[in-house]
Amino acid sequence: MKRITYLICILLTSALVAAMVGWSFAAGALLVPVIAVPLGVIVILACRQQVTTVISDERTSRIRSKAAIKTIEVLLILGVIGTAVFASYAYSAPLAPSVNGKIAINNDGTRSMTLTLTRGGLPGMPEEVVRSLTIQDIDSMNETEARAYGLFWEEGLRQYEESGIIARTLLCCLGASLVTFGIFYLYYTRKY
Amino acid sequence: MKNRIRVLRAEREMTQEELAELVGVTRNTIMSLEKGKYYPSLKLAYRIADVFGVGIDNVFTYEREKDGPGMGEDE
Repeated sequence: MKRITYLICILLTSALVAAMVGWSFAAGALLVPVIAVPLGVIVILACRQQVTTVISDERTSRIRSKAAIKTIEVLLILGVIGTAVFASYAYSAPLAPSVNGKIAINNDGTRSMTLTLTRGGLPGMPEEVVRSLTIQDIDSMNETEARAYGLFWEEGLRQYEESGIIARTLLCCLGASLVTFGIFYLYYTRKY
Repeated sequence: MKNRIRVLRAEREMTQEELAELVGVTRNTIMSLEKGKYYPSLKLAYRIADVFGVGIDNVFTYEREKDGPGMGEDE
């Protein structure tokens, strides 16, 4: 078997195993991954033993090492930039949206409430009104008004919250990458 | 670093594929070595010299000052 055939075998086996695992989770057949994953590994190892040509030598190993290091470097730089952008957007108070509520007494004695979601702008610029909602009688809110009230909070602050989630996720990924790098660095420092 | 792999191979009427198989690397590695794009490890250099039955200094020649960083050296 040639190297390219071996690579095709890996690709097909991985795709098949991934599909089976995905299907098993969807169908609730949790025994399938327990059998499929080791079986896939066995098939790949069996294919590897059939390869007659050289699979990888010192040049390919060195190319892979260099490519991996460059990839990590680029991803770290992009991660730091992304985290900074999203974190500054999510955590900077002037840019954060704010909700203001105003309760008024109606002519018939009931109370109405007006909620306004505003987004802060640059210093000196007026705040931008994102959306506004008025509930005519807050003591007897109907279903439509209750849904609109829920949506107001949910959708109004979603973009802001999503930026925070992305920033935290990127920060966790960066932290995990650095810790992994540190572990491998210590391992190879001790090994060589 | 210069090498005489191509010459030594031609003298022995050996193909790149055959040499690659004898030293346990891919043909691409032999091609890169011959073009001077890749510098081998000491182990591989000795293996190549061994296949040709000559000393390592008969295959590889280090040229002081002229060398830029190639792959296989630290940049």
